[in-house]
Amino acid sequence: MTEDVLRVNDLSTRFFTTEGQVNAVSNLDLRIERGEIFGIVGESGSGKSVTARSVMNLIESPGEITSGEIWYRNRDLVEDVEGDYPDAVDGEFVDLLALSDDVRRSLRGTSFSMIFQDPESSFNPTLTVGEQLAEAVEVQRRASANPRSTRARTREYSLGNYLLSTVLPSQRYVSEASHERAIELLELVGIPDPVERADEYPHEYSGGMLQRAMIAQALAGEPDLLIADEPTTALDVTIQAQILDLLDELQAETGMTILLITHNLGVIARMCDQVGVMYAGEIVERGTLEDVFDGHVHPYTEGLLGSVPDLERAGGRLQPIPGNVPSLLDHEMDDRCQFADRCPKAMEDCLEHPPEFDAPGSDHHEVRCVLTETEYDESRALPADYFGGKERPTADAYADPGTDIDESTGPGNPPRQPVDEPGGDRP
Amino acid sequence: MISKRVKSNLKQTFSESLLPKIGLVLLLSILFMAMFAPVLATHDPTRTGHYTEEGAEYPPLGHEYTTQVAADGEIGEVTVQGSSEHVLGTNNVGQDVYSRFLYGARVSLLVGLLGTSMAVAIGVPVGLVAGYYGGRIDDGLMRIADVMLAFPALVLALALIGVFGESPFYVPDPIVRAGLAEGMPESIPIPGTVTIVVGLVTWVWFARVARGEALSIRNEEYVKAARSFGASNRTILLKHVLPNSLTPIIVLATIQVAVIILLEASLAYLGFSGTTLSWGYEIERGQDVLRTRPWVSMLPGIGIVLAVISVNLLGDWLRDALDPNIEGEGR
Amino acid sequence: MKRKRDYQALDSLDTVYGYYIQMTLGKFLVRRILQGVFVIWGVITIMFGLRAVSPGDPANLMLAEGATQALVEQVREEEGLNEPIYVQYFDYLQGMVVGDFGYSWQSNREVEAMVIERIPATIELAVAATIVAIVIAIPLGVISATRRNQPSDYGATLFSLLGISTPNFWLGLMLILILGVWAGLFPTGRRPVGFGPAVLTLAQTGSPSDIFTWLKYIALPAITLGTYFTALITRLTRSGMVDELGKPYVTASQAKGLPAVLVRYKHVLRNTMIPILTVLGLQIGTLMGGAVITETVFNWPGLGLRLIDALDARDWPLMQGIVVFIAIAFVSINIVVDALYAYLNPQVSDE
Repeated sequence: MTEDVLRVNDLSTRFFTTEGQVNAVSNLDLRIERGEIFGIVGESGSGKSVTARSVMNLIESPGEITSGEIWYRNRDLVEDVEGDYPDAVDGEFVDLLALSDDVRRSLRGTSFSMIFQDPESSFNPTLTVGEQLAEAVEVQRRASANPRSTRARTREYSLGNYLLSTVLPSQRYVSEASHERAIELLELVGIPDPVERADEYPHEYSGGMLQRAMIAQALAGEPDLLIADEPTTALDVTIQAQILDLLDELQAETGMTILLITHNLGVIARMCDQVGVMYAGEIVERGTLEDVFDGHVHPYTEGLLGSVPDLERAGGRLQPIPGNVPSLLDHEMDDRCQFADRCPKAMEDCLEHPPEFDAPGSDHHEVRCVLTETEYDESRALPADYFGGKERPTADAYADPGTDIDESTGPGNPPRQPVDEPGGDRP
Repeated sequence: MISKRVKSNLKQTFSESLLPKIGLVLLLSILFMAMFAPVLATHDPTRTGHYTEEGAEYPPLGHEYTTQVAADGEIGEVTVQGSSEHVLGTNNVGQDVYSRFLYGARVSLLVGLLGTSMAVAIGVPVGLVAGYYGGRIDDGLMRIADVMLAFPALVLALALIGVFGESPFYVPDPIVRAGLAEGMPESIPIPGTVTIVVGLVTWVWFARVARGEALSIRNEEYVKAARSFGASNRTILLKHVLPNSLTPIIVLATIQVAVIILLEASLAYLGFSGTTLSWGYEIERGQDVLRTRPWVSMLPGIGIVLAVISVNLLGDWLRDALDPNIEGEGR
Repeated sequence: MKRKRDYQALDSLDTVYGYYIQMTLGKFLVRRILQGVFVIWGVITIMFGLRAVSPGDPANLMLAEGATQALVEQVREEEGLNEPIYVQYFDYLQGMVVGDFGYSWQSNREVEAMVIERIPATIELAVAATIVAIVIAIPLGVISATRRNQPSDYGATLFSLLGISTPNFWLGLMLILILGVWAGLFPTGRRPVGFGPAVLTLAQTGSPSDIFTWLKYIALPAITLGTYFTALITRLTRSGMVDELGKPYVTASQAKGLPAVLVRYKHVLRNTMIPILTVLGLQIGTLMGGAVITETVFNWPGLGLRLIDALDARDWPLMQGIVVFIAIAFVSINIVVDALYAYLNPQVSDE
């Protein structure tokens, strides 16, 4: 029953900025099984979004995927591309990074789709919500009408067609049928009066409604994998619960796979089957929900869990992890455990970069920490002031300049944000 | 007012891009040219009658042209050579083109700077008051601004000059006074009417920007706080609103210098300048002999382009550095 | 409280149009038209005021030199120049309202006729320049924004820098010199035929030769007048589009698989052009000022040339007529632009 739908091996994504090379994601491994919800959790700037965007092929200059493989299981795709890219095919898997941009673009919507953190800015303010959903439907309709020509899927619409469409309605990109399907989708995600609401503009929707519409848009192509990048962060607490319920329901109905990215451990605990904990561009601990929550080994996971407000002791203080998000600038990074400077159990062993160790628990439980194999030994502990404290740039800021970079920092100025954000959402 | 961040931003954008450096070097050379025009000039720019022996205008050095001259009651063709005496030739009334080029920079820069100051002096107070007080005052002032906008600046300027006349006033030339140059004009003509007029037709842009700033600043917490301490409107306007709206005003002022230099040149071209030393006037004069003696119009035009470019480059730089909301256009 | 500012356009939309939000389109238009009427009244009044304070006795300007004192007095009486100033003002306003702009002092013809006969040439020039600007600037801006920091971007940036920095009269002269005189590609004299007559010839005789002549004559003036706007629109398009391309909805559109053509044009370019439209509406004044200059350089028989003639002769009724016409054109175009803006940007009309 369980089979992998996505295997990411050794993925590294770098940003080449004027300040230097930023290692946003380093040597990352992931396995996502069909029909599960896989959660990635970590502080801001740990590389969660960059990972998601790497899978979606949404990394833009100055960013670049510098190494790795992203194996995606899809028999149809194998048939389509094995002629042109024999090296990219391995059994039922295709290595996405070996494909051309055009082919990868054609997978957006049908194979992978994505919902974003801020629904209000993720819709074009000057087009109706219905029109934007219909576009997503139309992309998939055109793709399925022409299943043999993978590479032509996104290219068949030209500037000439577009210019003609301003005069000839028949040349419009979006068809009537797509509009009708868009309304069905709005209904599916629980938007009342979908016929009327389809003709409204994004600013006429509430945040929660808009996030529902975005989910509807992501479902338009019935994707194998839905990537939800902080889907509830921008919403009120009550609305957050509704959106999570909706995702849960839709997942149960359609059996789709979801990659859920969040900094909220509560969301992870509630939704996910498997979890990866990210720190400084690496997955430091991954495994089933039980592995990570109950059998965690990595001190960072420990710290994250410790920083979740305890619901039973309401009023208890948050415990932020002391220290700063590490610099991801290549020339400032040492080849050591990246968490060592904030780790309460840092030892001399930590000055060497740890590999992934198999940890007790399920088969999937892997941890990038020497403590998996070694007991903490106080005699070899590093002195508290071993690392000088510095403020550092972070990874997510590069992936998502529209939302994460502070306005005051211009382009070329790496954002500097001290970490005061605990792993939990402010309730 | 000018925070550390702004300074470092200014420095960074300056060092990262070539364009502001070009702008600065250009502007400094033009300023130098304007200031020391009497020293650099080879002839009195207003003295006419520098003709060749045949009675023709000099072409630029290294060039020659054929023209008809009247000699001994007959019209004959002569070929005229350029002379090192007049490196860039002479114009159609026999004035030295190079010397006039230098003096033209003075008029352009003076009118550009004084006109902008004039526009700032009118526009900024009007805009701040309108935006800060809002309501009827705002409505009234902004309707006046609307009326001003409906006049093309050039047309309004022409109409105003028609009323006020166009006489310049003269100030003594400090360089000549200091004895650094001989045989040069004793005084600098400043086209006063033109300066006032360009200020009168461009203040409205400053009023609009200042109003927008005041509108947003008056709702800031620190202004509310100041008000709750009993600060008077006057104090708030001068201590909070004005300093905090300076950034966009400075950027706009820089760009307006360029706009006003162009406006002055246009007015002078149309014959409404007050001084014949303006580049625009010289271009108009050369228009009559464009086919045969194109150098007369060419050089002052290049002067205008370089002056305006230098100011625009600096304006782009300031905007990029001071207002990160705007994406850099000039890069 | 940071707002987007646009210094090149010297306008920040939200400061001026901010308080129009929360109105329906209908109310918005009514209010806009009332404001327009006020603006035109303001222009008329300012022109009257300037005329009232300008030196010189109009009667002298109307008459040939050496007219007798009795004749001058008679003209003053006929023209109402002996009335108190406010009576003159209301007479003048009354005339304006019914479309009576009076008689030119110089030629004694009706001002309306003198204005109307010159309108087509100016409109031809302005429209041709606008077409030149749009056809060149938008693709240039798009290329520049989508290929940032590549040679084509630098080229476009340099071009637009030169374009906004070159005085158009000098540009016109250089075009005449280089393309007209030296290369001999374009004629440089006064044009022999207007657009209307040329089309009439085509309709009557089927011969397009007049149209070609018209095109040859309008090419250089249109480039001269259009260059500044080409440069301006290129800059605005580039910076607007770069801004817009960084917005999250662009990534979201890519994520749903939309073809790049649609993302770039249907979404990004469209959203870029909406604010630029308003900016251009306000630049109509600059366009008219540019037309005055361009018409002077090319001896183009339009309103601008007539305005300069009127100024030289201190022919106030004619000057007033032309300026008021320009103001009416400015106000009407801006009302259309505002309505279009409200229509294209749903957030303005019904938030």
